[in-house]
Amino acid sequence: MNERQQMKRQRLISVAAVIALAAGSAVAIAPASNAAPKTITLAFQGPLTGEEASVGQDELAGMKYAIKLFNAKNKGKYNIKVVEADDQGDPAQSAKVAPGIASNKKIIGLVGAAYSGATIAALPYYKQTLLPMISPSATRVSITDPAAQGGAMGVPVFHRIPPTDKVQGPSLFKLATNGVPSPKVFVVDDQSAYGVGLVDYMKPSIPAGQSAGFDSVSDKTTDWSATISKIKTAGANVVIYTGYFPQAAPFFKQLRDSGYKGILAGGDGVLSPTFVTLAPASVLEGVRLTAGTVPLAEISAKLEADFKKKMGKSSGVYAAEAIDATNVFLSCVTKGASTREAMLKCVKAYKGKSLTGATIKFDAFGDVAGGGMNGFEVKGGVITFTGPVK
Amino acid sequence: MIGNFLDQFWSLTFGGLSLGFIYILIALGYTMVYGVLRMINFANSEIFMVGTFATIIVIRDLFKFTQASEPATGLRLWLVLATALIFSMLVSGALSMLVEIVAYRRLRRMNSGVLAPLISAIGVSMVLAESVRILTDSRPVASPRAMEKKFIGQFFDAGIRIDNTIIVTSALILFAVLITFVNRTRMGKAIRAVSMNPNAARLMGINIDGVVSATFLVGGLMTGAAGFFYTLKYENTASNIGFELGIAAFTAAILGGIGNIKGAFYGGLALGLLETYASFFLGTQWKAVTVFVVLVLVLYTRPNGLFGEALTQTRA
Amino acid sequence: MINLRDKGAAIWENQGRFGRIGIALGAMTVAAALPFMGGTILNTPIADYESVLVYPIAMFVLMAIGLNIVIGKSGLLDLGYVAFFAIGAYTMGLLGTRTGLNTWEILPIGIAMAMFSGIILGVPALKLRGDYLAIITLGFGEIVRIVALNLGTLGRSEGIINIPTPPGIFGIEYRFDSHRIYYWTLLMLILLAIWMVRRLSVRRAGRAWESIRQDEDAAELLGVPTFKYKVWAFVLGASVGGAAGVFYASKTLFIAPDNFTLQISILILACVVFGGMGNIWGVILGAVILGYLPDRIRFISDARLLVFGLVLVIMMNLRPDGLLPRKKREKVLPNKEKP
Repeated sequence: MNERQQMKRQRLISVAAVIALAAGSAVAIAPASNAAPKTITLAFQGPLTGEEASVGQDELAGMKYAIKLFNAKNKGKYNIKVVEADDQGDPAQSAKVAPGIASNKKIIGLVGAAYSGATIAALPYYKQTLLPMISPSATRVSITDPAAQGGAMGVPVFHRIPPTDKVQGPSLFKLATNGVPSPKVFVVDDQSAYGVGLVDYMKPSIPAGQSAGFDSVSDKTTDWSATISKIKTAGANVVIYTGYFPQAAPFFKQLRDSGYKGILAGGDGVLSPTFVTLAPASVLEGVRLTAGTVPLAEISAKLEADFKKKMGKSSGVYAAEAIDATNVFLSCVTKGASTREAMLKCVKAYKGKSLTGATIKFDAFGDVAGGGMNGFEVKGGVITFTGPVK
Repeated sequence: MIGNFLDQFWSLTFGGLSLGFIYILIALGYTMVYGVLRMINFANSEIFMVGTFATIIVIRDLFKFTQASEPATGLRLWLVLATALIFSMLVSGALSMLVEIVAYRRLRRMNSGVLAPLISAIGVSMVLAESVRILTDSRPVASPRAMEKKFIGQFFDAGIRIDNTIIVTSALILFAVLITFVNRTRMGKAIRAVSMNPNAARLMGINIDGVVSATFLVGGLMTGAAGFFYTLKYENTASNIGFELGIAAFTAAILGGIGNIKGAFYGGLALGLLETYASFFLGTQWKAVTVFVVLVLVLYTRPNGLFGEALTQTRA
Repeated sequence: MINLRDKGAAIWENQGRFGRIGIALGAMTVAAALPFMGGTILNTPIADYESVLVYPIAMFVLMAIGLNIVIGKSGLLDLGYVAFFAIGAYTMGLLGTRTGLNTWEILPIGIAMAMFSGIILGVPALKLRGDYLAIITLGFGEIVRIVALNLGTLGRSEGIINIPTPPGIFGIEYRFDSHRIYYWTLLMLILLAIWMVRRLSVRRAGRAWESIRQDEDAAELLGVPTFKYKVWAFVLGASVGGAAGVFYASKTLFIAPDNFTLQISILILACVVFGGMGNIWGVILGAVILGYLPDRIRFISDARLLVFGLVLVIMMNLRPDGLLPRKKREKVLPNKEKP
């Protein structure tokens, strides 16, 4: 079975699961017993207000969606509460939110933190109180890297769904240059820890003579003409942007409008359904993207439609990761985990399927073991799966 | 590097110029108010942000453009552009007047100095930015393409694009209208009089509140126009774009000499070019540093900016 | 409108020596007892109450006292105060992780670094006036952040991790989660800063600042070396910011450029003006309220900052001179040029 078919089959499984869920809720069986629902409290930590709110709000919607599906399936058996811990993506805010979450013993699992910086600032408190965390988007390598300064600082509580920058960096380069006879690659980062990290881990995999240059552009930039001039001067035919979709779309648009004909590529920060709404389809045609997961609409249009119906807005960046992270906790809840210790033990031992059907199992440092990267391409204004990047 | 720079000189220059004209229009919002009230109108950045959304509302919701639709041509194109420009100017102008009434008027009457209105303005900025953020689900919003971005000419190696041409010419026209307004009309004279000496102006029977409202309206109109041009050029906006652009435009106003309309003009152009050249030479990450070093040098040699303060000096 | 400051001052001035000591001790006791009030209405939802007391509240109070020297005492508008906080924090981060020095040894170095950068910035910037100073200081704040963002030794956007906590003194252990200890230490620093400001305000420097704030030209004509005293105010303000930075880095164990954005400068400025510029009790009250409010109203979740902005607008309009304004006689005469 080739990759494409396998992917299709995985997708079929997911679709079947969703339909089954829908059917389950349609039948609407009354709870078998009148026992009071078991209250479980989870928390979400990420930026929910301020300038960075976009990422956190999208992930929170993913988490709430997963809980809605779960409630529909387990009618009345559980009462899942979510504590929304807004850290504005800022380590300083995280450092005061974290002790509050850590000392609230009702909370037995945390989805987040969304940002790596906020994660690092929060870790001492969560480690001390053994609060299991599963992050949908904190991809900084050092958190789980035993070779990093001070060892893998996330052990034992930190887990994450997406592959690290170390995995994604080289994969992104590979995908971007795939099939290009003599690539000259220009890499632009957004000065965030995420973007710079990706570039740092991409650099060693760029063969001599294939690099056309680097630029580092603040994520508040709106005018890209200087960077575009550099790209043209360097004669690049592949441009990789390591940042988030709100900047990627205008950058790519301005680059194309200036007459650039080469390849455009980006990482999982760009892979948001909103991305394709930010520029005309003709501009984004052929943009190559990598991510550890796939967007909901790509799993099935039905899933995306259901998400939109239930949450009142389309799914966003890292939505699938947030759903996966929440599902790990929820599945542990059905296995009876109701304390932090039990939850942590269950998460460590967890083995299950992600939305895409890939296996989720955390290694000793909290990364999904063997998590590979998927490749995508924008075709006709839709992000389509093109197969794993190897 | 120099060779590369010469290759790219004209395209960098055009990029810098059209960015500079957007800065000019926002800077006018700061400089007009400063000229009359000697006060930093901190909320101007968010008035600009609202202006960009006003443009999108016209293009997307009134004329029903989508990302997939064909750009308009001919008469319809001009109709769309004119409607969007006027609507954005009106929305921002009205908002600017409203901000003055809500955040500044009471404080001005109490003679409270410059800091209380500054903090009040910061509060207004937060309210505006956060309201728009909540209304847009914290997501960026794109403007569908209303105008095809074609090249209409060639200048050395650089293509001249239609949207940049429209921005530069319309901004020049708006600027000329503003100069005429300030120098030739009754209200313009009143604005200058208040700017020169408010107490004498009051004694001469000038309605200070009316003049201040008019100043905010004019500043808001210009800032709204900047919102339109910005959206036309970049076709994207978000609730958080105001802050960065506002700081840049404020820098431009100071570079030229805040309170001076011509100063805003040259300051905006200088800043647009400086940012673009500095990004090319030193790397984009050092852009802001370069700008501020140049600003310090300019202010050190010419303590009132390139063209000095005060609206009174607008006559050449 | 009732002038709370004058009422308060009347109470203060009508007391004898013992009465004054009593009031001061009472205020200190209340401040010191705050960590024990977590179970009351003061408690913050979601965020940890005791952590909130350390940062933002106590930290903001300390910084606001420092900024008040610059703005409230000498009338210089500084929009880049976060720079000194950042310089202190990065001094702690670098020396704490690279050398064997501990927090108490680094504290004077961090203060010196902040003061030194205050001179570097102040000497050229203070030749300029008013709003130009605002934009130059704003730029300086951004430059410090951008340098930290791009310099490899400062960890770039990843920042510096594993910064050591202060070593114990007098048998008190500083663990990363002993928020109360940090809070009480900060109270000591705050008292020290207040003492410094009060000592200086009644001396030559204080009078010079007051004259600069009221009318700089007249002060210069009367022989006050205004430039020297402006730089001095700026550098003193910087030293308090630097001290706050060192201590902050030693508390959070991890710093990154994201901690030192322009928003912090603006927020501290808001604390000073909101509370009552030039009056130390007002400044403290302003910092306490603005530091505390966003965390107290977390239950409104999404609209939290919106409400915060509204509070700023409404309160500034109701009390333009701040919650506890400076004494009437200290107020600047209204500028005749103003409409």
